[in-house]
Amino acid sequence: MPRTTLSSTPLRAPVNVTWEVTKACNLRCGHCLSAGVGAPGRGELDLAQCRALLDELARMQVFQVNFGGGEPFLRADFLDILGEARLRGITSCVSTNGTVVDEILVEELLRLAPVYLQVSLDGARRKTNDLIRGPGTYDRILAGIETLASHGYPDLSLNMVVTRLNVGEVAEFDQLAKRYGAKTRLSRFRPSGAGCASWEDYRLTRDQLVELADYLGAHPEILTGDSFFALTPAGRRTLGLNMCGAAKMTCAVAPDGSVYPCAFLCDAAFCAGNVTAAPLSAIFGSSPVFARFRQLSVQSCRACDRFSDCHGGCPAVAWFLNKSLDQPDPECLRRVVPAKEVA
Amino acid sequence: MASTDRRAAVGAASSGAGEYLVADWVRVRAESFGLLFYDTRSTRLTFVRSGDSLVPPPFVAARRVLGVRASGENAPPALSRLLENLVARGLIIGAENDS
Repeated sequence: MPRTTLSSTPLRAPVNVTWEVTKACNLRCGHCLSAGVGAPGRGELDLAQCRALLDELARMQVFQVNFGGGEPFLRADFLDILGEARLRGITSCVSTNGTVVDEILVEELLRLAPVYLQVSLDGARRKTNDLIRGPGTYDRILAGIETLASHGYPDLSLNMVVTRLNVGEVAEFDQLAKRYGAKTRLSRFRPSGAGCASWEDYRLTRDQLVELADYLGAHPEILTGDSFFALTPAGRRTLGLNMCGAAKMTCAVAPDGSVYPCAFLCDAAFCAGNVTAAPLSAIFGSSPVFARFRQLSVQSCRACDRFSDCHGGCPAVAWFLNKSLDQPDPECLRRVVPAKEVA
Repeated sequence: MASTDRRAAVGAASSGAGEYLVADWVRVRAESFGLLFYDTRSTRLTFVRSGDSLVPPPFVAARRVLGVRASGENAPPALSRLLENLVARGLIIGAENDS
């Protein structure tokens, strides 16, 4: 059944939508992809507006919503939103920092199953995680994970944003996740949101990039989404997308209803509209911003023998580092390692 | 509205032989190339080049029957193979038509 060629065919709706439901957050992580988290943002969608958006997502037949924030569980009506998504046949994935997970919440989530829960933890060791996510957070996050594990929560993954500080703990992190019956998910650190300021301190060195690529190549069971499609060996890339899905397979909705090509490009320059002013289907189908993304082609990569595997990599990284979309992914293995060394 | 009309016509064309139900854990929608399946258990996608020979049921319904434009003895071999492949992948389930 052909997959790779059809996956580049324009779709009439996103496969999944990342929806940041609130700016409220009780942590201040150094790499957070969202800027200005803390208190709830001005003009966040209320429950009625959330229901209207879910109606629209169901009309568009969007399969999956990836809920994030901020910390989504700090929103008082978030379980209502999950319930409304379930009623409409939409699969929910929630990215949480795990610190507000308790027995009552786990029982509610099990009632709404399946809810794919991704708990963020940025190191296998207390000291490493707390450097990134804040003092005392390791123990609070682990307490949440233990509560989930004690209920046999079936759809759990532990997510680590891979940075210079924790890349040496990837194998240990994988063991820790297994201990709790969770899957391991690794995400790429990108210079968006708070990550702009910490980019130089957290970004991987050349040798770390190569080591990580080798590790992921040898461990296909580790989930990465499309995080590393531009960085990893060919065998690994076949597990996921081989191109940026922004404005094609996915898009992002901010807490106030603003729509962007992806969660890492929530920048004013890429705001395609707002769901309170126009239906998401109209924004997805006819926004000039999205049209620009669909035509994006990194010309300087076209001659590369890996072009069909990555199509130039992640435009968000290129944008935040160079303020240009038409730039190769700065962390592309071919750019940091001589061709003969790259699988 | 157009897709509803199309589904009604397909339903008539495929009656009489066995039918195919979309598995409970699967969502499917129409795309320009055919069908796009999503497995809620794994969140994996399956792209199917079926043209307009297969028509998806509503997203949420008690019994989700996959519309097949030509089924049973009238089905082209390629379409039969495609349906078998989808059954093997656990995306659809063959069922006897009790109508």
